[in-house]
Amino acid sequence: MSLTKTYRFSAGHRLYIRGLSEEENFKIFDTCSNPNGHGHDYYVQVKVSGEINPETGMIINLQELDNTVNIVINELDHKRLDIEVPYFEENQPTGENIAKYMWERIKPDLGEKFIHLKLSETSNSYFEYYEEGNYPYEH
Amino acid sequence: MGFKKLLTKKMEFSASHRYWNPGWSEEKNVSVFGKSAGPYGHGHNYSLEVTVEGEVDVETGMIINLYKLKSVMSDVLGDFDHKHLNDDNPYFKDLVPTTENIARILWELLEERLGDNPKCSLYRVRLYETHDMYVDYWRK
Repeated sequence: MSLTKTYRFSAGHRLYIRGLSEEENFKIFDTCSNPNGHGHDYYVQVKVSGEINPETGMIINLQELDNTVNIVINELDHKRLDIEVPYFEENQPTGENIAKYMWERIKPDLGEKFIHLKLSETSNSYFEYYEEGNYPYEH
Repeated sequence: MGFKKLLTKKMEFSASHRYWNPGWSEEKNVSVFGKSAGPYGHGHNYSLEVTVEGEVDVETGMIINLYKLKSVMSDVLGDFDHKHLNDDNPYFKDLVPTTENIARILWELLEERLGDNPKCSLYRVRLYETHDMYVDYWRK
């Protein structure tokens, strides 16, 4: 059994490699290298699995899940990621890296229960992060 | 290499519920369940997605006749739609009507009605409590 909750944040970013010219960055990152940045509404789906606690009827207390995830959401929401969030000064703020960052920030609090994270950057593209061999849809 | 064939049908229902463990004090119930422990309950528009797995019948081209699946789902949801789950539904007299428990009960009721058919079996129950939260229940 699993439970999945969706969270949202809005953030700006620019994809570029320091030291490369604007032309070279444009070749790699296209419009995502626009010097002044651009933004997205990100949707994050956090999936937890486990047995139902017989006393509470729950896999996880939703308030505790919200508290854990919202700490990370608040670090990213309404921020320019590559300028205001230290992790993304060193790592490109791509969907892949944002998903990895969120997984690593959330995992210590949720532990074993946390099995899958899905980050939607737009309605057309999403990124998934999970442990190899533990994809929740193959059972 | 074989292919997995799945069919999913969705149905919505509305119900109210209250999260309350009668073995606990009021303080403990409120501290664990928060607003969901309110004495008169509250409600949701649930959305149920039932997925079956099976073989495509050569003559009908179907895994299951959708009219049959629809009638099975409607029949099961009779005890849930426009009901107060704690008071009106037989399964939550001693069970907290969390999304997890509702999904599990629905699985049991659906599986019982779908019967023992090697060519079409229940694969997954996905229950949305709100648009941003759902529970999946499946057989490992």
